[in-house]
Amino acid sequence: MKDYIRVCDVEKYYGNESNVTKAVDRVSFHVEKGEFIGVMGASGSGKTTLLNMLATIDTVTAGHIYYEDTDITELSEDALSEFRKDNLGFVFQEYNLLDTLTIEENIILALTLQGGKKKEINENCSEILKLLGIADIREKFPYQVSGGQKQRCSCARALVNHPKLLLADEPTGALDSNAAQTLLETFTKLNQSMAATILMVTHDAFSASYCGRILFLKDGKIFHELVRGEKSRKIFLQEILDVLSLTGGELSDAK
Amino acid sequence: MLNKLAFRNMKRSVKDYLVYILTMTVVTALMYAFSSLIFQNGLSIHFEVEGMMEVMIGLATVFIMLIVAWLINYMVRFMLEKRSSEFGIYLLLGMKKKTVSKLYIRENILLGGVSFFLGLLLGVLFQQVLLSVMYAMVRMEFHLHIAFHAGTILMTTLCYVGCYWIALIRCRRKFKKMNIHALMNAKRQNEEIKEKHEGLKKLLFPLSIVFIFLFWTVFGSLSNMLEIVFFLIGLVLTIYLFYIGLSAWIICYVRKKGNGIYKGQNLFLLRQFASKVRTMQFTMGTLTALFTLALMGASYALMFSEYENTVLEDKFPFDVQVYSRNIEDDFADERAVIDENGTPSEYYSYHIYTDQDNQVNTWMLTHLNAWGTMYRNADGSPNMPEIEAFLKNENVYYQYDTYMGISDYNHLRRMLGYKEITINPDEYLVQIKPRLYEQVQEIGKDLQIGDASGKSQLSFAGIVSDSFSQDGHNGADYVIIVPDAVLERMTPFYKELVVDMVGEIPVDLQQKLGDLSEEERTDMSDESNDDTVEDDIRCGSDNIIVYVVVSMVRENLIPEVKYMLASIIIPLFYIGLVFISVAVTVLSVQQLSDSAKYRFRYDVLAKLGLWRREIHQLILKQLTVYYLCPAILAIVISGKMILFVSRLFVISTGVPVFAGSFFLKSILLFFGIYLVYFIVTYVGFKRNVEER
Repeated sequence: MKDYIRVCDVEKYYGNESNVTKAVDRVSFHVEKGEFIGVMGASGSGKTTLLNMLATIDTVTAGHIYYEDTDITELSEDALSEFRKDNLGFVFQEYNLLDTLTIEENIILALTLQGGKKKEINENCSEILKLLGIADIREKFPYQVSGGQKQRCSCARALVNHPKLLLADEPTGALDSNAAQTLLETFTKLNQSMAATILMVTHDAFSASYCGRILFLKDGKIFHELVRGEKSRKIFLQEILDVLSLTGGELSDAK
Repeated sequence: MLNKLAFRNMKRSVKDYLVYILTMTVVTALMYAFSSLIFQNGLSIHFEVEGMMEVMIGLATVFIMLIVAWLINYMVRFMLEKRSSEFGIYLLLGMKKKTVSKLYIRENILLGGVSFFLGLLLGVLFQQVLLSVMYAMVRMEFHLHIAFHAGTILMTTLCYVGCYWIALIRCRRKFKKMNIHALMNAKRQNEEIKEKHEGLKKLLFPLSIVFIFLFWTVFGSLSNMLEIVFFLIGLVLTIYLFYIGLSAWIICYVRKKGNGIYKGQNLFLLRQFASKVRTMQFTMGTLTALFTLALMGASYALMFSEYENTVLEDKFPFDVQVYSRNIEDDFADERAVIDENGTPSEYYSYHIYTDQDNQVNTWMLTHLNAWGTMYRNADGSPNMPEIEAFLKNENVYYQYDTYMGISDYNHLRRMLGYKEITINPDEYLVQIKPRLYEQVQEIGKDLQIGDASGKSQLSFAGIVSDSFSQDGHNGADYVIIVPDAVLERMTPFYKELVVDMVGEIPVDLQQKLGDLSEEERTDMSDESNDDTVEDDIRCGSDNIIVYVVVSMVRENLIPEVKYMLASIIIPLFYIGLVFISVAVTVLSVQQLSDSAKYRFRYDVLAKLGLWRREIHQLILKQLTVYYLCPAILAIVISGKMILFVSRLFVISTGVPVFAGSFFLKSILLFFGIYLVYFIVTYVGFKRNVEER
């Protein structure tokens, strides 16, 4: 399969000459079309910085990121906006729904910004609401629904334009375990049925176990990679925990 | 420690609430400058209307204090809300509520203190500008004299402290009721959008538009107090209910999925606007009321100042003019005073005649705009009983028509530097006030004036409308000029003396001449004054500003009237300026703090792929709609009242401009101030949204 996204020797430095922090240090990897990839690492390992650069909302210090043939590190700001609009969907821990709009209107807005006919927009919107199981709360405002529902709305908004890549930053971070599980199952479903490519950043092993492949980040570098392959989720989860405990991940303090 | 904390917090607030501090500084400066007119007004002793300016400014200050107290109270509550989580942390750390409220109050006093002292400095500057404008107005020399005056400072301080005191008392009460959890959560809480009975509330929108329409159509014909009160109450209700209706209407439109929401960022804009209007509908109403009052104040001030700059200069064409009802009067006393106080170059006395008829008066009462159809019967003919009663009882026209001989007329014209006019022995002229020229074009067709023999008619030779002192001296509104021979069959009505002066005229000549005459009356109202029946002078159809005196000295009267007008103009401008600034400040502060609190909304839009430029445009649109809404409502509401009054003003004073010009000018002025705040807000908004 052709490489869909290529990250080549990407670096991100913060600070000034005397005190440089390498948030991301020469990271390279490929993502294939239809993949559900996870990025794991402790706090401060650089995973969110990496995601932000992929999301075009932060710039690289050095290196290149290719989406198929487009090098996003070379694009102008306006071109980036356009690129984002056409190719990316976002799901964040903080939901990021517009609080003045209802659940349905949040999705309609995303569609209108792309430009489209009223009928088309309404059809697409209803379809995605049904797919994510939030059709019955479409008239409600974000403050009136639960965290899980908000996050599913956020996913619906991210996916409704069929992006090339769905970026999720700790999507389960603010959810209870039930809601988290529902959301992750939704991701899996979307990945399989709509062939959506998903990149999820998380520090939670349980969430990561839903991915097809996991990159482990430490101090800005990739130090390990796990592929689920045909393994069951339970075994894969155990493997993840093993890596984390071996390398002083999140669980190191507990042991 | 508390002081240090208070000081540091204050410094941070300065940055966040720069607009508020600027406004408070300007308000203090205005307060100082205007109250200096009460204490440091070197002018007032020169004028008869001494004390009027002081009273008017005092009155304006009361209104201004109320509004400024409202602003402070609003801001104190607003800042408290924005910073509640911080106060929650203080409480969590073990500070007592009392200490926290003290801290907050101390901060506010510091903040107020900064703007107060800046304001005082600026105020001294404003004061000099204001005084120099006033001196120029009354034609006196002004010497720059920068000094603080204890009375002025005391009054400004009292006003300022009073405003703060009222506002802070309420704040302390608010602190008592709070708990830590509520405080810490307050900031996380988004404004909840409650949507209930929208279908019903929506009706308020068309309803208030209908009311405004009704108001425009019937305002001119309101006749009794009850109707006026009814309409004013309706208007106030409309102002407040309009916003409830408007937001409900938008919400319904969005819910119904109108076609408009599928275009660009409309959905976001509409929802944003509706929720903002909903959460501050009461404030929006109050702002609209403030804008309305400010626009009215500025328009009325502009009317008076237009009068002062145009009509007033022509009101007293002769250096000195004296009226006497005694047709034998030789004006010996007046001449003695004038000889003693100045250098007269020519005295000229003459009679105004009458034929004991009132066909010209009747014509005026049935044809001038000022009266409309009041003195006509249903069939258009003059209502004679009403007219006779009017001429007898009201101080408008002389009881009989007024005439002047052509030789007197030409002599007076020479004195004024006008070209002489010749008429044939069988002709007559109509000399009329300039403002009535257009309205009397048809007069020649209707008048029938007999010639010297009384057997045949004089023919109409034209209308002259040079300024000719026709507020009761050379006739009221008009005088008919006839060949000298015709006067022989008429009787002298009253006598006039005019004087040409050379050199400087002393500032108290008017006063001295006035002392001679017990009949001198001043009048500055739009009501007919029944209490001066013994006063023979009739001023004509002038209204609103009328200044009737037996002896007039131009060089003294113009400054006098100007000073009097200034005491109306200046307080009106004062109120207008403060009201606009206060209202726009509330708008700006609201938007700026929202831009910080709801920055994520624009982040989300950026992630949805909006270009930076598009986000800027969106912010611009959002601010424009938000700023324009109360302004337009205020313009629509005040428009009728202003246009109605300015039409009356133009008709009855003769200012040579079209009636809408005052309204347009005050809108321009208004938008000038508006624009400054708008730009500051837009720039701040963008900066807040883009801050990382």
